[in-house]
Amino acid sequence: MNQTRPLKLWIQHQANRFAPALFFVGLVMLWELICQLSDVPNYILPSPSAIITAFFNVEFSRWMTHLWATLRVALMGFVLSICIALPLSIGMMRSELMNRVLYPALIVIQSTPVVAVAPLIIVLLGTDDPSRVLITCLITFFPLVVSTTTGMLETPPEMIELSQSLRAPRYRETWQIRIPYAIPHIFSGLRVSITLAIIGAVVAEFVAAEEGLGYFIQFSTSFFKIPQAFAGLIFLSIISLLLFKSIQWSQAWWFPWSLPKKK
Amino acid sequence: MKTAMTSVIKTAMKTTLRLSLLTSLVASASAMAADKVTFQLDWLPGGDKAPVYVGIQQGFFADEDLDVKIASGRGSTDALTKMATGQSDIGSSDIGALMAARAQDNVPVVAVLPYFTQAPHAFFVLKSSGIQSINDLKGKKVATSPFTSSNAFLPLVLKQNGLTEEDIKLVKSDPGALSPMMITGNADAIIAWVTNTALFKAQAKGAGKEIIEMPWSNSGLSLYSSSLLAAEKFLEERPDVAKRFIKAFSKSIAFTYQYPDKAGEDLHKMVPEVDADIVSAQIKSITNLVYNDVTKEDGVGHFSPARIQKTWEYVAEANGLTMDALDPETAVNSKFVPE
Repeated sequence: MNQTRPLKLWIQHQANRFAPALFFVGLVMLWELICQLSDVPNYILPSPSAIITAFFNVEFSRWMTHLWATLRVALMGFVLSICIALPLSIGMMRSELMNRVLYPALIVIQSTPVVAVAPLIIVLLGTDDPSRVLITCLITFFPLVVSTTTGMLETPPEMIELSQSLRAPRYRETWQIRIPYAIPHIFSGLRVSITLAIIGAVVAEFVAAEEGLGYFIQFSTSFFKIPQAFAGLIFLSIISLLLFKSIQWSQAWWFPWSLPKKK
Repeated sequence: MKTAMTSVIKTAMKTTLRLSLLTSLVASASAMAADKVTFQLDWLPGGDKAPVYVGIQQGFFADEDLDVKIASGRGSTDALTKMATGQSDIGSSDIGALMAARAQDNVPVVAVLPYFTQAPHAFFVLKSSGIQSINDLKGKKVATSPFTSSNAFLPLVLKQNGLTEEDIKLVKSDPGALSPMMITGNADAIIAWVTNTALFKAQAKGAGKEIIEMPWSNSGLSLYSSSLLAAEKFLEERPDVAKRFIKAFSKSIAFTYQYPDKAGEDLHKMVPEVDADIVSAQIKSITNLVYNDVTKEDGVGHFSPARIQKTWEYVAEANGLTMDALDPETAVNSKFVPE
């Protein structure tokens, strides 16, 4: 056997494993190179090095303050929308009437640009967390309702027939058959919602806030500190990424059976 | 493993709970007597918003037994709405926006103290553009932001200089994009407040360029602008608090413009993201909006009826309102200014 073969394989394997990271690093290097070579001013496109410098120029404790403010609102909004979406979809699945009445209303809520109504919410609920949480909730709960309802309706009819023939009560039908079948759908809804939750929190901060990453970005641009704004933006995307991942992890942890089988 | 984790979390939660209880106790004990006032800014913190921060840091509000909380705003109308709906008690906003709002909706907010006695609107151009006066803007591309109050006054200042809106090519873009547009040559001139001059200059310098500001106040547009406004409910229910606030606020304005460097530091202490030196540069560059010929003639901190009338005439014309839509004197309440 050729000695180099395992090494080659190993390199191939590692390259494959770290492909996303390598792609990302390459992208950043290309970005830096373009900025260095073409002499683009920082206020049009800041270079990665300028962004990193700006990131460390802001005190760590300030980052934590802003992070906590955004994360708090995003997570509270997210949890609130779960609390609303799950019972709502169970209700809509069970009752045809409720489905007919509520669906149009939900679509109206979803298709209204929250940015447009956000100032009204602030006037009604004040400038503190409750209004921001509501704005986040309005943005996040629709995908959850849709995916949960779809999931529960996609339960194989023979399972339902079986449970009915065994005279299982409705709540057991829901909890032991429909919801487990809906888990993959619920989690895909949760993954969409969690990224929307961050967007929702930022939108709310654009309208009224004294802290938070969205506020920080708006604030930085008002002082024309574009690298600093970018640093905030990148911080924000890292948080979204982590939250997205944590939904995947929690699905793997609690509902490993609901994941598609690995090839 | 799990139980160990939960017990750690539980202890941590208990400790934080106790700590927060303790701090709130301490805070409430020290603020027991002080009257709480929520101050509304019409935009994000910056040099022109420094006085209220100075008042807190220098203890001018504490001296009057006031506990002041600051809320940032997103434009004049946003600030007005928050005062009208009771989210805030008192704050800074454009008196023109107030007059327009009162004429149309009779919002329960009044002006109590002048701050900018000249309008901050201006054109900015690059020195290399060769544009030297407003007349030179004929046929040029001018960029402005969509929601600035300057837009309403643009036709007036153009008219004063023998131009109409058809003579310029007006484009609208995000406030943050204006100065880069000018520096890169995407726009011949931009419309912004002179509060931005220090920032624009720094930006242009980075690109090896120089900018010129052309304030509209030099070109025939002379009126009151940013002022201290208060909710009518606040004045009615807590007149004594209002009086003390206005007294401390007047003191804060005076201190801010007398010691711009200290004011910069004070603002930086409360909003660490802001550089103290940028703030002090901003304050220095707008001193003439606060102290000028108008204040020399009328005295600091007094609305003159003639100038209020003049301001309303401008506002009415700019917003397409009839002159009798508002008695401008009703938008002002000078009873709370200390003698």
